[in-house]
Amino acid sequence: MAILNAATKELQLKIVYYGPAMCGKTTNLVQVHKRVQTAPGNKGRLVSLATNSDRTLFFDFLPIEAKTIKGFKTKFQLYTVPGQVIYNATRQLVLRGVDGVVFVADSQYSKMAENVESFQNLEENLRTCNLNLADIPYVLQYNKRDLQGVAPVEYMEFLLNSREVQVPSFSATAHDCNGVFETLNAISRALLTKFINQGTPQYAS
Amino acid sequence: MTTTLPPLNEADVNQMDGALGEFLNQTNATTALVIDKGGFMITHKGDATRFDLTTIAALASGAYMANETIANLVHESKFSSVYQQGENFSMFVSCIDEYCLLVIIFASRLSVGAIKYFAAPTGEKIAGQLKFAQERDPDAGFDLSALNVADSESLFRKRV
Repeated sequence: MAILNAATKELQLKIVYYGPAMCGKTTNLVQVHKRVQTAPGNKGRLVSLATNSDRTLFFDFLPIEAKTIKGFKTKFQLYTVPGQVIYNATRQLVLRGVDGVVFVADSQYSKMAENVESFQNLEENLRTCNLNLADIPYVLQYNKRDLQGVAPVEYMEFLLNSREVQVPSFSATAHDCNGVFETLNAISRALLTKFINQGTPQYAS
Repeated sequence: MTTTLPPLNEADVNQMDGALGEFLNQTNATTALVIDKGGFMITHKGDATRFDLTTIAALASGAYMANETIANLVHESKFSSVYQQGENFSMFVSCIDEYCLLVIIFASRLSVGAIKYFAAPTGEKIAGQLKFAQERDPDAGFDLSALNVADSESLFRKRV
């Protein structure tokens, strides 16, 4: 849920990176943390609640402040969810209060079923928060484009982006930081556009 | 309309800060925060130099929400508070209302009983202010007319 503090002219927004296990959600946040140009103090620490083998257990968290626009500080909180199927209760918790979603898909042919399953899981979990995917800004990222055996982007669009309203999608190689900032800027812009035009956010209960 | 945390003005924040300040005076706790259950910090009073409050807000809400889920699994509607005891500092998190939490960081030598005792009326005052802000204009959205998305072409730039 976006929070507007008129006293300090701060807008806070929550973006969740969602997708199947090992698709590159944490890598996106690591690259943003490593490469973003910010004024001193505008980037928080990247917190990862991970297992001993570096698999996300609860979430990764990165608070980051965008440049001030017309006197408003816009603060974004970036989260990832654990991709492994068994952690569904945790994914539901992380989605609480979400304003926008980046769905990260793994481009390998062998991962298409997991992509579709995870996307359906996102829709189901949003419904448990009284949210509808069609009503919240989201973008798609087709990650791991540098690997052998990747599906054509058109095929991934057919699988994941053939709804009534198509959303922006980006090819990416997150470990090289390709497509990472394009994705982040697109969801950030979509969120600001929504709140400027609509004003009232939905609340994920 | 969907219920949501209302836009907060300066008077709302001052009232909440006043309640937190009074609580700190009563208990000698170190820092008090009002956060929402999604992980955002709404306001805080006390020592902000020794702690990363933004991250504490995100993790405290996650911990509280995880405990709420555990409560459901043991057939409770909720655990109304979470207490973590440390050697030097302890943390107490209690529910303010449907959307917000009160987070207290305090020296471990202090009595948690006193923290709990004074946290209850503090939470009620803050809940009252949030209710007041909600009822001021229940249909109010965010007035972001001063923002111009055209300016946000590159909100985040990559360092080369």
